[in-house]
Amino acid sequence: MSTRQPARPRRIDDALSQLVDALTPPLSLSAFRDEYAGDAEEALAAAEEQRHHDFLEHAWRVLDTHTNSADNPASPSGNLGIGRRGSLAGATGAESINNASDLIKRKLLRDNASPDKAVQFSNLYSRLLTQPVLSQKWGILYLLYRLSKPEASEGLAYEDERPRSPLMDPAKLQRMLAKDQRTGSGMAASSEDDGPAVSSSASQMAARPERKTSLRRQDLERERDAEHGAAPERLRMSRQHESAGGDPRVAEYLQEPGMDEGKSRPVESGLLRDLPFNLQGLSSNDLQFMSTSTLKLPPTLPIPMVSILNTLAEPCLLYRGLSTFVEGSEGGLISQSLRAALANELRSYLGLVATLEGEIRRALAAPQELGVPKSGVTLKRCVIWTRDATMALRLMSLIVEEAKNKKGGQLISLIHGFSTSHGDPFVCNFAEKLLAHVTRPFYNMLRLWIYDGELSDPYKEFCVVEPEFRPSTDPRRIATSVWEDKYKLEDDMVPSIITKDFAKKVFLIGKSLNFIRYGCGDSGWVEAYSKEASKELRYGDTASLETSIDEAYKTTMARLIHLMDDKFKLFDHLHALKKYLLLGQGDFIALLMESLASNLDRPANSQYRHTLTAQLEHAIRASNAQYDSQDVLRRLDARMLELSHGEIGWDCFTLEYKIDAPVDVVITPWGSTQYLKVFNFLWRVKRVEFSLGSTWRRCMTGARGVLGSVDDKVGADWKRARCVIAEMIHFVCQLQYYILFEVIESSWDQLQASISKPGCTLDDLIEAHTKYLNSITHKGLLGSSTSSKAAGKPEEGFLAQLHHILKIMLAYKDAVDGLYSFSVAEFTRRQELSAKIETRTAQGQWGISERDILSSRHSQAQKLASASSSFSLTPNVGSGADGVATPSSLANHDLSADDHMLPSLRSRLRDLSLEFRSRLNTLLGDLSYQPDVDMRFLAVVMNFNEVYEPVRRRRATTISRDKERERARRRAAPSSGSEAQAQIRKEKKDASSNGQ
Amino acid sequence: MPTQSDDKRQAAREVIDILQEISILLNTKLDRTELSLCVSLIENGVNPDALATVIKDLRREVELSSRSPNESSE
Repeated sequence: MSTRQPARPRRIDDALSQLVDALTPPLSLSAFRDEYAGDAEEALAAAEEQRHHDFLEHAWRVLDTHTNSADNPASPSGNLGIGRRGSLAGATGAESINNASDLIKRKLLRDNASPDKAVQFSNLYSRLLTQPVLSQKWGILYLLYRLSKPEASEGLAYEDERPRSPLMDPAKLQRMLAKDQRTGSGMAASSEDDGPAVSSSASQMAARPERKTSLRRQDLERERDAEHGAAPERLRMSRQHESAGGDPRVAEYLQEPGMDEGKSRPVESGLLRDLPFNLQGLSSNDLQFMSTSTLKLPPTLPIPMVSILNTLAEPCLLYRGLSTFVEGSEGGLISQSLRAALANELRSYLGLVATLEGEIRRALAAPQELGVPKSGVTLKRCVIWTRDATMALRLMSLIVEEAKNKKGGQLISLIHGFSTSHGDPFVCNFAEKLLAHVTRPFYNMLRLWIYDGELSDPYKEFCVVEPEFRPSTDPRRIATSVWEDKYKLEDDMVPSIITKDFAKKVFLIGKSLNFIRYGCGDSGWVEAYSKEASKELRYGDTASLETSIDEAYKTTMARLIHLMDDKFKLFDHLHALKKYLLLGQGDFIALLMESLASNLDRPANSQYRHTLTAQLEHAIRASNAQYDSQDVLRRLDARMLELSHGEIGWDCFTLEYKIDAPVDVVITPWGSTQYLKVFNFLWRVKRVEFSLGSTWRRCMTGARGVLGSVDDKVGADWKRARCVIAEMIHFVCQLQYYILFEVIESSWDQLQASISKPGCTLDDLIEAHTKYLNSITHKGLLGSSTSSKAAGKPEEGFLAQLHHILKIMLAYKDAVDGLYSFSVAEFTRRQELSAKIETRTAQGQWGISERDILSSRHSQAQKLASASSSFSLTPNVGSGADGVATPSSLANHDLSADDHMLPSLRSRLRDLSLEFRSRLNTLLGDLSYQPDVDMRFLAVVMNFNEVYEPVRRRRATTISRDKERERARRRAAPSSGSEAQAQIRKEKKDASSNGQ
Repeated sequence: MPTQSDDKRQAAREVIDILQEISILLNTKLDRTELSLCVSLIENGVNPDALATVIKDLRREVELSSRSPNESSE
């Protein structure tokens, strides 16, 4: 024993003996007193000495046996082979420390209900670690650990394998220590009962304070977050050590793979740790966002890892882009709602990331067995888990990308396109989900529009727009375009969730409501209606939406028509227009014309409004028009068109029917001008008819008296003139009949039929009225565009032709008036002559002397110039002033002038009648080739006995040829009979009339 | 030099303080002297496991010896 003593290091020996002394209490004297009464002291000392020696010896034995067992290479100290005495010199450092502290902490947790002691220990431990004095911290801790429960020394070896109480909640501890522990709740919820979980969390905590002094600091530097990043590695090492301590054989296996994975494993776990942050678009040490669309991967990774990271980078980048989009605030309501919907989706994505993070944390915190993570969270799994979310993100960013330049309805159409036409059910559902949110503002607008008629669209996203640039026509037009121009249906903006017809309907409803409210001043009804009918509109229930729209449509339209009819008397106005402007009220027009005739014969600048209105009033009073409603008559007004010099009253006079605000939606300003056009034409025809009629009357009455006596001289002329006038009257009558009955009445009938249809809308009304006017203007030979196209030459439109014919008629009428005056003058001359003869006979002289004849000839030569200037040299007979003046001036002529007067009158009458004929033939020719049945009918009616020869004009050249032929015919009127059959017939007629 | 040794002693005291607290926490029933002795032993390369066994053995024997005389005396 003593031989062994020197081998033992002195310091250890001293310390050990001191320790033994300290541990062994002094032997009680009483125990020895009985036996060794004398030298009790001595005996006691000896006994103590003996005991101390025994104890020391025993201690050494124990130490030595331990040292021997420590030679086993698997033992924690022995495997390092340093120091025979179980020395831990150069020991496994941090790992050993961790192990011991782990054991202690675990024990504390196990033995105490509250983690306070463990926390306390952690603090103490961290302080201990900072102390540089001890080199064997692990040893002392381990010693303390072993000593801590002297009673349970037997079960010590199996301590680790015992199941832990579920009450030991590591999460609680963790929460207390790690304030930024986000997944605390998740951990708590899924806290595991088994030991490894406890140990791992403990080791994690243990690792934290150590990070400053850690020898492996350089290893940890690549970790982005030192706190979180350090843990995995610490964990791994501590676990390794622990298992090594627990079972030597496992340690051997672990050592190798541990070394192997040393390069990649920490990287993957670090990446995993950072992944939640990356998924939220935040940069980490390994993955840095270079710009909005690039993510920099660390260059040192193995290729498979890089490819996985590439996949994972997609949601990161997409999220980053989307979150910047979502945070933006520009754009209209619909894009804002899109933002909100996307924000919602992103929130659920973040929820996923949070769960993922929880999983990752738990997986990283869980112990590994044989290097395989228990819960198995790997980057690959993360890729799988984020796949759906990535899909959604991808779709969202696609939508965002495409929505950049779109707004309102287009945006909705875009998303709707995804939901209806995409083959992937995932995409469909997703888009459908988005759509419910995105369409909300649209439906709000729609609701406001179809129930209130209000357009509340601050960002111009609705499919109905208020055009900014009004048509720059005259201000009168703008004021009346409430219905047509106030709102417009933008086809581009109609979202594809509603059909075109539907959109049109919606547009009409809103427009009608708006019109009722503002145009018709009936906002009370609109408000009541909206209060009663308004209901929430949502995306999805298309059927109910459709029915509600249909309902609203019907109600609104019925109300509008009702208003138009009842309140604004639209139909009365239409009727009045027909009666007065389209000459439907015959007696009134006849009376008006009669009373105005003398007035209107004067030049235009001598027409006064008050006389016109007075005559109009007279005409109304004296005709059946007086029974019409006061409201209608009040609107009737007579006025002059723009005055121009040299025109007579007839050209400028016009009747007007005033239309005011709401009704002018149907009877538009354009319609009013059409009415005026038709009126002017009809008025002209009427005037020609009137003047022809008066001339005819004069002829007829004159024939019985004055004209009969000069029959020998002008009888043939009169016969011819009467024929031509009769022809003309026939023409005018047919024309009037055609326009009034065939055109206006039939169109009116159609109009009546279409507006009295049930379910007729205001648009239908407007359309019907427009059609009515169009058919009148077109069929009434006034339609310039279509007829001119048919005629080939614009200047030869029907209206122009008719005007020309009417002019010829007027000229002819003037010429006939001239003939009449001439006849009257002749008659007077004869009367005078016979009276002179009679007086001379009574005086007893010769009735006629040569002197009389000479003087009459002389005077005739003098007056010839003035007479001819008034008749034959006036090519245009439109100037009625001359025509009216002629008879009176002619009456003053010397009666002997008739020799020159008569031929010029005759030639003029003949020329005019020929021109009338040719013009009429052309017109009939044109008419008979019209596509319209009614117009062809007019040609037939006019030429019912085929007295005229319709000429078909083909080209401009044929027209000129016609004219040449006419001229030739006129030159060789009596003789030539060798041309076409038409020519022959005409000449025959001419010849016969000449002969008579 | 004296300051350095002072520092060392100061540090050693701190370490012992900490260790004592821990030992109280763990209910090891070691007093300050014993603790420092143990520390020095371990610092000198004694296997803590062995030391723990020794201490435990000693305690048991002391307990036994102190109990048996008492019994015998009665």
